[in-house]
Amino acid sequence: MAERGTSRRPEHLRPLPTAGDAPDAGALLTAVARGDEESFGRLYDLVAPRVYGLVRRVLRDPAQAEEVAQEVLVEVWRTAARFDPSRGSATAWVFTIAHRRAVDRVRSEQAAADRTMRAGVASVDTAYDAVADEVSNRLERQQVRNCLDDLTELQRQAITLAYYQGHSYPQVADLLNAPLPTIKTRMRDGLIRLRDCLGVGVTA
Amino acid sequence: MTADIHSLVGAYALDAVDDVERAAFDRHLRDCEACRAEVAELQETAARLADGTWSVPPPNLRGDVMARIAATRQAAPVAAVRPRRSGSLRLRLTAAAAAVVAAATAGTAVFVVQEQRVRHEQALATTGSRERTILSAPDLVVRQESLTTGGHVTVATSRLQNAGVILLAGSTVPADGKVYEAWTIEAQGPVAAGVGRTAVSHVIENLSAASAVAVTIEPAPGGTKPTGEVIGEVKLT
Repeated sequence: MAERGTSRRPEHLRPLPTAGDAPDAGALLTAVARGDEESFGRLYDLVAPRVYGLVRRVLRDPAQAEEVAQEVLVEVWRTAARFDPSRGSATAWVFTIAHRRAVDRVRSEQAAADRTMRAGVASVDTAYDAVADEVSNRLERQQVRNCLDDLTELQRQAITLAYYQGHSYPQVADLLNAPLPTIKTRMRDGLIRLRDCLGVGVTA
Repeated sequence: MTADIHSLVGAYALDAVDDVERAAFDRHLRDCEACRAEVAELQETAARLADGTWSVPPPNLRGDVMARIAATRQAAPVAAVRPRRSGSLRLRLTAAAAAVVAAATAGTAVFVVQEQRVRHEQALATTGSRERTILSAPDLVVRQESLTTGGHVTVATSRLQNAGVILLAGSTVPADGKVYEAWTIEAQGPVAAGVGRTAVSHVIENLSAASAVAVTIEPAPGGTKPTGEVIGEVKLT
């Protein structure tokens, strides 16, 4: 049983276990690269909830999220052979594709309409969507709270506005009323601090 | 110029650059081994931000993806150019979209489940606000257990509210004619607490009467007494 009312400090010091990383995503992805559809099915079960969740979080629209998640997962199948284990984990590779696709979609929407305006209008979304966002925010705080708390306010906002909202760094600078070079720097040193806090390493 | 472009490394890892900057940065990376290593680490870090964004995908997604990959030729190992987005896809606004937000890590999770959204939209308008009140309680405790059939059942409770939220997300769909059913275990026996094909969301009122939440698979549309074996249980005391 897992129970958590208040978070204990040392928890962030060890890498967070990613949900069900056994079976190993890297091994599955390697098999997928050889055209193994069954392994792809297992990889799907492993990563699809987080792919869908991430895309949905950025897009805030379940219907579009489904469409983009489908594109992402087909892309994983198509380009599996390009995964390079020396450059990072298989799950990070998948989420990088997912995040980029979601951001691409956000940007293409922005071409048609200003997203901030839309976000205001979209706030009359279904109650469930609102709850989902709220819970998701709350959980993020619960899980990576310790590490995010180690960041400065500007670092934290720069990172979360870019990652979860899909904003570009000039948009983030605008939103935070900060100079462009400052935002670029905060994104970089914020991520570095987060990396050290989470104990993320890439064995090259 | 190289130093200048490299200042984008954080924004690049967060996908916060535009297409032109991304292309310029990719060129920069080709010439800089140390930069590639830094990018890999920062992307790995950024990807960890996805850990808290778990959602149950719509039930038809798996079948759709499997069908598409069967008809999709795989790319060669060495990356040449980033592929353009493949053909347009159908938008689906049909019912039975399940949306679950959860922490997939550290064994804690809260799910918010959306099932048969269109049909239930009105009901959601009221239950959603109740759930929100519970989930934002300062003393919220979140417990999660796996289902033996795959997936999770999560119970978020607040003693202050004397209420809780049951959120069930199956990773398998029960056989035809069967559904997941959640139960609160009370002194006089199990009480039905929500039914669903892939996901269940249910508010527990009078939490103090319940000692546990159990899940079984039952003949549709669900019953008032469990008949199947328990596939998951969250103890509340």
